[in-house]
Amino acid sequence: MSKSSSKLSLDKKHNITGWIFLTPAALLIFCMSFIPMIQAFLLSFKMGKGNALKPAEPIFANYSRMFADTVFTQSIKNTFFYLIIQVPIMLILALILASILNNRQLRFKGLFRTMIFLPCATSLVAYAIIFRTLFANDGIVNLVLVNLGILNSPYSFLTHATSAKVIIIIGLLWRWTGYNMVFYLSGLQNIEYSIYEAAKIDGASPVQTFFRITVPLLKPTILLTAIMSTNGTLQLFDESVNLTDGGPANASITMSHYIYNMSFKYVPTFGYAAAMSFLILILVAILAFIQMKVGDKRD
Amino acid sequence: MTKGKKILMYGFLIIMSIISVFPLLWMVIAATNKSVDVTRGRLLPGGYLIENFKNLIAAQDVGGAMINSFKYSVILTVISLVICSLAGYGFEIYHDKAKDAVMSVILLAMMVPFVATMIPLFRMFSSAHLLNSTLGFILPTLSTPFLIMMFRQSARSFPHDIIEAARIDGLSEIRIFFQMFIPTMRSTYAAAMTITFMNAWNNYLWPKVIMTDAKSQTMPMVVANLTQGYVTDYGMLMLAVLICTLPTAIVFFCLQKSFAEGITGAVK
Amino acid sequence: MKKKLLSLLMAGAMTATMFAGCGGSDGSDASADKADDAAADKADDAAADDAAADDSADKADAAADDSASAGGQKLTVWCWDPAFNIFSMNEAAKIYQKDHPDVEVEVIETPWEDVQTKLTTAATSGALDTLPDILLMQDNAFQKNVITFPDAFTDLTSSGIDFSQFAQGKTAYSVIDGKNYGVPFDNGAVVACYRTDILEQAGLTIDDFTDITWDQYIENGKKVLDATGKPLISMQAGECDLIMMMMQSAGSSLFNEDGTANITDNETLKVVMETYKELKESGVLIEVNSWDEYVSSLTTETVAGTINGCWIMASIKTSEDQSGKWGLTNMPSLVGVDGATNFSNNGGSSWAVTSNCQNTDLAYDFLKSTFAGSTELYDNIISCGALATYAPAGDSEAYAAPDEFFGGDAVSKKIVEFSTKVPSNITGVYYYEARDAVATAITNVINGGDIDAELKTAADTVNSQMQ
Repeated sequence: MSKSSSKLSLDKKHNITGWIFLTPAALLIFCMSFIPMIQAFLLSFKMGKGNALKPAEPIFANYSRMFADTVFTQSIKNTFFYLIIQVPIMLILALILASILNNRQLRFKGLFRTMIFLPCATSLVAYAIIFRTLFANDGIVNLVLVNLGILNSPYSFLTHATSAKVIIIIGLLWRWTGYNMVFYLSGLQNIEYSIYEAAKIDGASPVQTFFRITVPLLKPTILLTAIMSTNGTLQLFDESVNLTDGGPANASITMSHYIYNMSFKYVPTFGYAAAMSFLILILVAILAFIQMKVGDKRD
Repeated sequence: MTKGKKILMYGFLIIMSIISVFPLLWMVIAATNKSVDVTRGRLLPGGYLIENFKNLIAAQDVGGAMINSFKYSVILTVISLVICSLAGYGFEIYHDKAKDAVMSVILLAMMVPFVATMIPLFRMFSSAHLLNSTLGFILPTLSTPFLIMMFRQSARSFPHDIIEAARIDGLSEIRIFFQMFIPTMRSTYAAAMTITFMNAWNNYLWPKVIMTDAKSQTMPMVVANLTQGYVTDYGMLMLAVLICTLPTAIVFFCLQKSFAEGITGAVK
Repeated sequence: MKKKLLSLLMAGAMTATMFAGCGGSDGSDASADKADDAAADKADDAAADDAAADDSADKADAAADDSASAGGQKLTVWCWDPAFNIFSMNEAAKIYQKDHPDVEVEVIETPWEDVQTKLTTAATSGALDTLPDILLMQDNAFQKNVITFPDAFTDLTSSGIDFSQFAQGKTAYSVIDGKNYGVPFDNGAVVACYRTDILEQAGLTIDDFTDITWDQYIENGKKVLDATGKPLISMQAGECDLIMMMMQSAGSSLFNEDGTANITDNETLKVVMETYKELKESGVLIEVNSWDEYVSSLTTETVAGTINGCWIMASIKTSEDQSGKWGLTNMPSLVGVDGATNFSNNGGSSWAVTSNCQNTDLAYDFLKSTFAGSTELYDNIISCGALATYAPAGDSEAYAAPDEFFGGDAVSKKIVEFSTKVPSNITGVYYYEARDAVATAITNVINGGDIDAELKTAADTVNSQMQ
């Protein structure tokens, strides 16, 4: 779409219509997210346990406290480790799968799609049990690796720092790749299939088509999934709690998991928990801002 | 496509599918076995499915929980899609600096971990007497930055010519949205519906806080109940999980054609 | 819809003016008149229930002496585990209803973590009216919750319940400032279970494991390992159940009486850590990744035994084909520690009455006539493996019955006996913080860390979290 046509539609009436269209959603978000957020923000300047809260002294005490908190700094490191490794792999894999499955000549498309999507429909409870079973000392993964001669004796995956993190990443990839694929598949439908046919006639290789057509035209969707995955990873909770319980020795604990512990498992320290939550907000906001700057251009 | 490439492509897809499905297959097999056999790592189907089912029905109100989950998820999905797509459309089609700024602010709303906003939200809901109600379940996730952004991003590929043509034909803005945008964006709606339904269905943290009465339990809560005992009956648990997974899988299977082979023919 | 939205908006704006966490108690009455909005008929029900509860409370007051006979009375209970806690509560209700047919007990199945989340949420948002009358609480969390949310619980000291009938070490969990807040329920006395058929292959019997020290245990363990290749015990890595059991067996805690952390210069803890390390290095103990794997190590005969709270027997018994092959005795004692015993505790829970209970007389009477007064109840629930900490119950015939699964031993009686000998310890308010920090320390020690340095780090973590 061109700049001139969008300028044309920008008369006053349409401007107001636009505002009316987004009001219900915006109002709901204001009530359900911003009001509680403001309260949480105010809370982040309070100290104390449970209901016995008093103003923080000095005012940023909760914010400075987190940088001296070794468990929390460890959780930041872990979370960024997941973010940097897992998100790019997952999005690229999802993109490749989506473009393969978009091929009209492919047979059993529906079956493949459903199978690849299924992991994210599985309830967390089952997924956690299944993964722990697979990677147990006498689990299938060890069985295979030992029989293939790669390992001499079973390796205790969840009790070693690096392998525990890797398992969380594998878990995330397994669970969320199909989920992201859905967005790409639906995004691809808004691209005229004839473009692909034309490219084929012009003798473009699948790789060329992928980089020259699919990626640029899917840019809005890629941006969407990138922001969502960044947000999801920085708030990662389920995997840390259910797969490794943050262990061994906090080697895989995430920020949200620690915040949850501080709020519900330990003696509640809501002021501090709120302060840590706002650090997550700031981190996600910065990353999302960068992603928007790079990817959200109308041209 | 050459034969080699074809084999490569199918090979890749088959490997991905096996990796995706294998754990689920394990779950299905476990649901047919006795708990002690599950812990012993039995990988063959057993004859214990009926027994597990009887135990499950006796232990938990699965029927009631399924009805609740369906009710909450369907209502949430329908209303949510209308509200969020309308907003996404509004943000994109009538975009200007102010609206882009509002969009950025809205995006902020999803960046605070839910654990931090849960308690203020709970206080709000309990003082408004919304505990144990459908409205209480759906309100916090009715409008999500994620869905709004999804529709905003996909509205970007909605041709402006159609809008112009419709305006010349005298269609009101709201009718353009309902009569032109929604039918054209079928694939986006189908994808959004799948995702929203799934998220609503699997939502756990919020329902478990506001549903304080046994009659309002949802399916994921039933599954969680089964993991809490001194002894876990793994066969029964896996059956419950299987039952809990099926609706989302079916919804996906029914809708996948619509979003993966969407007919964009209307757009010319 | 719009109307509802508006009312919610108003409620939101109202709450926004109150700082989160100040415990705004005015919230609920101010919005009560909004409940007429038809959309939330459930809310109306809730309001009606409140009114009904108020009514019945009035009635109960009126009929002060004979409160239980007032009509249409109901107690709601939160607890988890249908095969165990819920089963027991329903049995208790049946017994109580024999004399009080009008009383209804509604059990709302709520997993322990959800009980904790809901309790915290309700107490911090000033919505105590969302709590049930009675809830089941993990013993380890009792001090934390009562001290953090004193408004949420009812003092049971003068409720007429005779707490002296319970094992003292057990009651101690729910006593805060000399006041009783909990009615002890399930027994967490530690038992050591062994596969006697596997021990036999190493020329050992269950007697070689009775009243022994950890040194003897490791020595025996090596024999079993040599003869059969099976370790004696499996433990979940990253959890410190065994550490805590060892600590309590010598009456030692991670906290001092005054609430300060007792980690760095805790000699018992050092001995415990060294013992654990030796167990691991000798191969007598194997660490597994998860609870599921721990259970499966028992059912698949990967290990020759285990040491845990007596509730673990229920999991062991799922392997019906192993009946008669198991033996049960007490746990090993620490070497070189004052006050070391062969008895400890792990897990267990107690009933608490919340401050939302409108009819406290009924709740007291119910608990007094069931969990704190009915040997019949304990005889009925022994079938699900629930063992009493209520001393009179241990004398009944049901407890003396031999258990074929454990080689015809009268294990129930044995366990009740164990539980009376468990040294009491101080869980402290910060139990979970300390437990996690020590779990981190032991993981690092196993991987070659220095015990003193790791304990110092653990103490620092706990002290920082106590801020």
